[in-house]
Amino acid sequence: MMLFGDEGQERLKKAHIFIAGAGGLGSPVSLYLAVAGIGTITIADMDEVDRSNLNRQILHFDRDIGRKKTASAEEKLKEINPDITVNAVDMKIEETNAANLVGKADGIVDALDNYPTRYILNDVAIAKKIPLFHGGIRGFYGQVTTIIPGKTPCLKCIFPKAPPKEVFPVVGVTPGIIGILQANEVIKYLLGSGLLLMGRLFIWDGMQAHADEICVERNPACVACGSVVKKKTTAGKRK
Amino acid sequence: MTVKIRFFARFRELLGTDIMTDVVAGMMFSSLITTIAKKNPEGYDAIFDEKGTFREFVILMKNGKRIDIADAAKTPVEDGDEIAVFPPVAGG
Repeated sequence: MMLFGDEGQERLKKAHIFIAGAGGLGSPVSLYLAVAGIGTITIADMDEVDRSNLNRQILHFDRDIGRKKTASAEEKLKEINPDITVNAVDMKIEETNAANLVGKADGIVDALDNYPTRYILNDVAIAKKIPLFHGGIRGFYGQVTTIIPGKTPCLKCIFPKAPPKEVFPVVGVTPGIIGILQANEVIKYLLGSGLLLMGRLFIWDGMQAHADEICVERNPACVACGSVVKKKTTAGKRK
Repeated sequence: MTVKIRFFARFRELLGTDIMTDVVAGMMFSSLITTIAKKNPEGYDAIFDEKGTFREFVILMKNGKRIDIADAAKTPVEDGDEIAVFPPVAGG
């Protein structure tokens, strides 16, 4: 790869990324990370493919309706790049199993559809000191940010309270755009190059074809990462 | 004095965005958003609860700095302020 050389490609090959969700965001994220040559991809989901998913969940085809998303995802990712390892985890991500599921991954991609599970992975990312690549979509709107524990605000600093659960339509290209941005962040992070969306909430408005960026700050009193800040400050004082 | 209000995502669909409005000196953040949101009942309901207070998930920012919902009624808006109001986007 001319862009980042053999050394960069080797870094991607050695990397392990955990993708939470094999749906609208998980589809483009996993496909692009697979073809980028990320050596190990773990993708977790507990749902089956439904016809209503097919406008955006491009990992799954018409023939997959009724199949487990993990089985469909594993098949497609292995087919698109036989040189990588794909672990498909057919399980609900919960507080009790999240840390084990993430294992020794170098980063977590948030391709989820709800905040309670996002908060669980936010805690895991903080505990393991690994990045959480956040994405969210609704209709023609999407948002992306890269959370680096200890350096950036965490998900709870930015969004302390979950919005109510709702069912809403999504145009297929929105998760395409947002998922590709998340994959781009993962690749840059692993290569150690470029400017990450750290402390920056990228907001996409597909209707206006307009992107905004909002500066987001750490909350020193954050219930999730406040202690990380405190510990760091204490350690700094000891020196 | 003039301020600019920017709504995002669902709030933008209901209330528009980049709203430039004249405000009187000393107007508080919550009063301003209430006045603007009342132009569309559905938009108002998306941001405020039945008691007229901000829904707990709403994010408020003034010139890039977070305003705590609890402080919105005692934070005055100032000339040239750019105010952002948005919900967390949840889908995936």
